[in-house]
Amino acid sequence: MNLVINNKTYEIDSDADTPLLWVIREEVGLTGTKFGCGLAQCGACTVLVDGEPCRSCVTPVESVVGKQITTIETIEEDAVGKKVVEAWVEAQVPQCGYCQSGQVLAATALLKRNPNPSDADIADAMVNLCRCGTYNGIVDAIHAASRQA
Amino acid sequence: MGKILKKFIARLAILVVVVLVGGFWYVRHIPSSPFDGAGQPEAMATLEQGEYIARASDCVACHSVPEGKPFAGGLEMGTPMGSIFATNITPDKETGIGNYTLAQFDNAVRRGVAADGHRLYPAMPYPSYAKLSDDDVKALYDYFMHHVEPVKQANKPTTIKWPLNQRWPLAFWNVAFYESGTYKADSSKDELWNRGAYLVQGPGHCGSCHTPRGPAMEEKALTEADNAYLSGALLDGWYAPSLRGDHNRGLGRWSEEDIATFLKTGRNQHGVVFGSMVDAFNNSTQYMSDNDLKAIAHYLKSLPGNDGDGTPWEYHEVSVAMVRPGEQSFMANCSFCHGRDGKGRDEWIPPLAGTTSMLSSYDESAINVVLNGSGRVVASGIPDAYRMPSFRDKLSDQQIADVLSFVRSSWGNNGPAVTVDDVKALREHTHPASPQPIILQMR
Repeated sequence: MNLVINNKTYEIDSDADTPLLWVIREEVGLTGTKFGCGLAQCGACTVLVDGEPCRSCVTPVESVVGKQITTIETIEEDAVGKKVVEAWVEAQVPQCGYCQSGQVLAATALLKRNPNPSDADIADAMVNLCRCGTYNGIVDAIHAASRQA
Repeated sequence: MGKILKKFIARLAILVVVVLVGGFWYVRHIPSSPFDGAGQPEAMATLEQGEYIARASDCVACHSVPEGKPFAGGLEMGTPMGSIFATNITPDKETGIGNYTLAQFDNAVRRGVAADGHRLYPAMPYPSYAKLSDDDVKALYDYFMHHVEPVKQANKPTTIKWPLNQRWPLAFWNVAFYESGTYKADSSKDELWNRGAYLVQGPGHCGSCHTPRGPAMEEKALTEADNAYLSGALLDGWYAPSLRGDHNRGLGRWSEEDIATFLKTGRNQHGVVFGSMVDAFNNSTQYMSDNDLKAIAHYLKSLPGNDGDGTPWEYHEVSVAMVRPGEQSFMANCSFCHGRDGKGRDEWIPPLAGTTSMLSSYDESAINVVLNGSGRVVASGIPDAYRMPSFRDKLSDQQIADVLSFVRSSWGNNGPAVTVDDVKALREHTHPASPQPIILQMR
């Protein structure tokens, strides 16, 4: 099957039920997307599928054939994604960094859907976990990116 | 006057003695078996035949415990009076059934009477196994005697207190609810249908979970002659859905091929096995031949739906706006796997739109699977890639009630709202440390 990841088409050999995350990391070799819990609970594996956040660890690869998949590697090619990354750097959000690619993609999806999110909107949408507790930095960075947009 | 009274009393006394002796004999007597007096032939069936019927009958699911030796018993089953434990059915001569003759084995399996004459609780599905053919009983006996490893493990006594622990009244339960006789083919139906009926009613004992039970815990029907048969039932904190043609709560929208695929692989586009069905799939249905699964599907699809199934379900688009209670929980916890559109991911992750658990007035399965997650589905030795996690520690009773009420009223689903009390009750009952746990559950 063919998969479109970051505007590039890849020929994929994995089984139909292989999680998308495995394909992205192991077969395609894009390792910016992380494995966290494997149960769609933490959000470290978040990528965008047709612009919507997707937990790649619980997404059978077969179900995203023909869709546009975006990972952290090219998120800055997107206008909103670029602003989010800049705001992230400006606010120095990451600590250990492991969950941050997922956080950046979730924030990008939020701002595409809602360019001026309130604190409540951010709390509703940003359900990715961060063991370092960078949640306040994330909220500040999303507000900053929102003002830039 | 005195003479007449004396005579009357004497006659009454004789009658009482006769009734007592007769009754005592009746509740203790060992029924006759077609195998009475049969010797101990060396091999009555091939290993394949015996193993196949043991698989089809799913003996191992109840007669084993996780991490325990196969067929050594010990599984606890809760009843309102106390717990009973599945017994050791390995051929160990001391603690198992190693000394059973074929006739004694037959009486236990098809008539619910142990070798010493005590009656088995109908938790052992002998009212279903009664339909097993003589050949299958022989193959089963041969399998247990020659191919199962003997395990020395004493049976656990029941925790039911005297006088309720007396077994003899079960002889009268049998008079009321047990139908003797092996499966009789219906000549008006084809061979495939009859094979399916035999497997479903007999070894498969599907009705043990899927047929509603009456006040004496009896299955309300044992064949398709009654509309209650396989019409869906609640047990052990799970709702076993209707296997009849009901559009919403049954198999009305499933094709014969969908049913066969579900039993062979544990999944199809309509759903994935969960709850107690995980055991039935992991240990039994996936081992059945393609033709037998086709027969089961053919038979089930011949059962018409019942009244009261409601308006046939149809998919409706829903735009999730984070306004209704439960919507945010749905987006944060459910949508990543089951999809924002509730349609799931092909056969890999089941839909929430149009599934029985979300349409049925029984909400136990929906609540239970959110609280406790699903069991590991192992198809052809390979564990499933995707599994419903437990939300017991992540979501409150209110959050679970809200999110399920949202799901049960979206995409055309019309299941009644879930109350906080429903969630609270099941949370306590299914907690391992509960004083009243539902014990017989997924393992």
